[in-house]
Amino acid sequence: MRYGKNVTVENAELFYGDFQALKNINIEIPENKVTALIGPSGCGKSTFLKCLNRMNDLVEGCKVTGSFKIGDVDIYGKIDINELRKNVGMVFQKPNPFPMSVYDNIAYGPRTFGVRKRAILDEIVETSLKEAAMWDELKDRLNKSALGLSGGQQQRLCIARALAVKPQILLMDEPTSALDPISTGKIEELMEELKKDITIVIVTHNMQQAVRIADKTAFFLLGELVEYGDTDDIFTSPKDARTERYITGRFG
Amino acid sequence: MDRTKVKEIMSKALFAIAAVICIIAVVAIFVFLILESFPAFKQIGFFKFLFGANWKPNGDDAFAGDVSGSYGVLKMLVGTLLSTVGALIIGGVLGVFTAVFISRFCPKRIKGIFNTVVNLLAGIPSVVYGFFGIYVLLPMLGFFSPNGSGSGILATSIVLGIMILPTVVSLSKTSIDAVPQGYYEGARALGATHEQAVYRAVVPAAKSGIVASLILALGRALGETMAVTMVAGNAVNYPTGLFKSFRTLTANIVLEMGYAGELQMGALVATGVVLLLFVLAVNLLTGLITGRKKSGGGRKKTAGFLSKIFYKVKLEKIGRYVSWACAIFAGVALVSIVGWIVVNGVSHLSWDFVFGNYSVVDYKRYTIGPSIIATLMVVALSIVVSVPLGVATAIYLNEYSKKGSEFVKIIRTAVDILSGVPSIVYALFGAITFKMWFGGTISILAGSLTITLMLLPIVIRSTEESLKTVSDGLREGSFALGAGKVRTIFKIVLPSALPGIISAVILAMGRVISESAPFIYTMGSSIQPMPDGYMSSGTTLAVALYRFASEGKYMNEAYATAFVLIVIVLGLNLLAEWLGKILNRKLKGETNAVRKKRNS
Repeated sequence: MRYGKNVTVENAELFYGDFQALKNINIEIPENKVTALIGPSGCGKSTFLKCLNRMNDLVEGCKVTGSFKIGDVDIYGKIDINELRKNVGMVFQKPNPFPMSVYDNIAYGPRTFGVRKRAILDEIVETSLKEAAMWDELKDRLNKSALGLSGGQQQRLCIARALAVKPQILLMDEPTSALDPISTGKIEELMEELKKDITIVIVTHNMQQAVRIADKTAFFLLGELVEYGDTDDIFTSPKDARTERYITGRFG
Repeated sequence: MDRTKVKEIMSKALFAIAAVICIIAVVAIFVFLILESFPAFKQIGFFKFLFGANWKPNGDDAFAGDVSGSYGVLKMLVGTLLSTVGALIIGGVLGVFTAVFISRFCPKRIKGIFNTVVNLLAGIPSVVYGFFGIYVLLPMLGFFSPNGSGSGILATSIVLGIMILPTVVSLSKTSIDAVPQGYYEGARALGATHEQAVYRAVVPAAKSGIVASLILALGRALGETMAVTMVAGNAVNYPTGLFKSFRTLTANIVLEMGYAGELQMGALVATGVVLLLFVLAVNLLTGLITGRKKSGGGRKKTAGFLSKIFYKVKLEKIGRYVSWACAIFAGVALVSIVGWIVVNGVSHLSWDFVFGNYSVVDYKRYTIGPSIIATLMVVALSIVVSVPLGVATAIYLNEYSKKGSEFVKIIRTAVDILSGVPSIVYALFGAITFKMWFGGTISILAGSLTITLMLLPIVIRSTEESLKTVSDGLREGSFALGAGKVRTIFKIVLPSALPGIISAVILAMGRVISESAPFIYTMGSSIQPMPDGYMSSGTTLAVALYRFASEGKYMNEAYATAFVLIVIVLGLNLLAEWLGKILNRKLKGETNAVRKKRNS
């Protein structure tokens, strides 16, 4: 089943035990755009991101209320969580390639959903690597271990791996914070390309990155969504004094 | 999608069932100890048992109500404590300095050899050390002894000390190696010499690991049974002199359980309970010193004590020589024991002795063919049962159970305690429970089940350790791609943890082959013909060596048996190391080209 590509969140609250990590979040994330979530450490932006593919379910004592909709589907309703994660891919801060070959890394997702035919898998691997702009780099070493790649290559492989299950939305949790500037540039270019087909939500600590790549930006502080709007507006004429102080580097 | 869900539920159920079986087994040991010892404690009195100096079992006490025998373990308690402390002084000091030597003073060229030798020796069965004790150590010590006999607390401490040496060396070395290079460089940058930097900066930084290795060694010395019975003398005395015959708690159990009456058996199980209390104390100590970071009181005190010794002895001046001397002594001692057995063993080896069958008709022609078969049968059954159960339980505990759950914490603690319980306690359990199940007869099956119980906690623990080393990032990555728990476990977690699990399995095999105490009263200890199934009795190789060595008339057979035993155990250890290396390399995806580049 296919989900939509836009996200609508209403009155979202999240608790870790007694601690409230998200307070009354309302946001609409448009399709085929890059939306950046910014804010100081511990403001709840990564927590919010992980709500969108329910990775927070893995955290002990985590409770979510409010409405999260992707397209028309309430993702905290009666859904198949694995199906949700097939539609909403994720790339993590630290590259986490599996200890297997490049090929098997990319085929892992499709195989999870029952694709067994070698010809189809070959095709998926090729398209995914092409989409991630690394087919030429890797086509001769598909059977080598993914752990032998450089950090930047590993992260792009993880993106290709996420693309292999044809997600509608891609969540990226500070995907370039562990990488060098050249690799970062490659990934940013890649995001430009990818947003033609999918919606991207990215958490970043780097405000310049948000300016460079994001169409929309949301500023989080202490679990609240302080301000959300077009990136240009947020960075040139922020409405909230806290946003202004953050983007001009007074705190954070 | 439904099929995936069914798979998920089925797998979780299977893991949970395995966990429940293991938990029942674990609980059964505790329940057994309490139930079987309770009548004895009640009749004798807990404190009278613990602090009574007389141990005079009355053979007639099987007749109900007769309490004319007296059961007090104080003499053996003192004997156990003193011999353990003695072993720790000998093996601990030698071991720690040898570890410092290998890690920081050893020339690069011989470092690898030293490492391999130490790792291999850690697997040598304790009966072999006991054998060495009887035939080499005792006559040597007897020369100095006023009563002409070398057995006693000195011999016991030396044998136990040598036995724990490889353990201390390899674990201490690991923690010294793990000290960040910055500590050493920082000290050198301040103008310290190499010795000062090592003994003032590096060793103190590794002290909690060193202390932990000493505690583990303490546990082994405390629980050792067969090697001790071979050199202690075994009379119930206070160890008032270096050469006075004495008895330990473990020896007490193995010496008397073969013919014990009802109350006496209860008292032996009660002795096992006392051993268990020791293990509990040791565990508590370990917890204080390592793991729990917040309650650092005990850790600081022990560590402070260690540094004080280091300062008093002016180690930075003589440290180099001390560690050289210790390493040479330890190396020579260990290598010469093995050499002694290899040289004598090879010369008494024959095809018929190793592979021939034993016949009661030709009863003076002993062979160990049947023992090899019996050993293989025990290894096969115990591994086939304990590994799947143990691995599944570890998976359940690590991957399914809630992280903070009190119940899981209790299970973990119980498993921790049981993995330190001396094998003689399992021997008691097996000899009483399994013999009862199988109609009062000993059998290879009963022996295998006994050792299986002993392996379970070991397999669970080491599997959990390996599972913990798999980074959560990999699990998250798999979940984020829409994979379920089962797929994540089988495709991502288990393959990553496999090298650790496999080497744990091989070491568990080594454990089965090395053990002797759990088999004597569950499956037999006399040399006998080929077993014709799991219900027939049998004698493992280690038990056969014990039999040959302690009877004193079969030196040649003992040498040959010890040789075969050592070859098998060393072979297994080599296999474990080699497999571990290969699998790790495969996992890291290191290609031949990369390896060549690194080596050149």
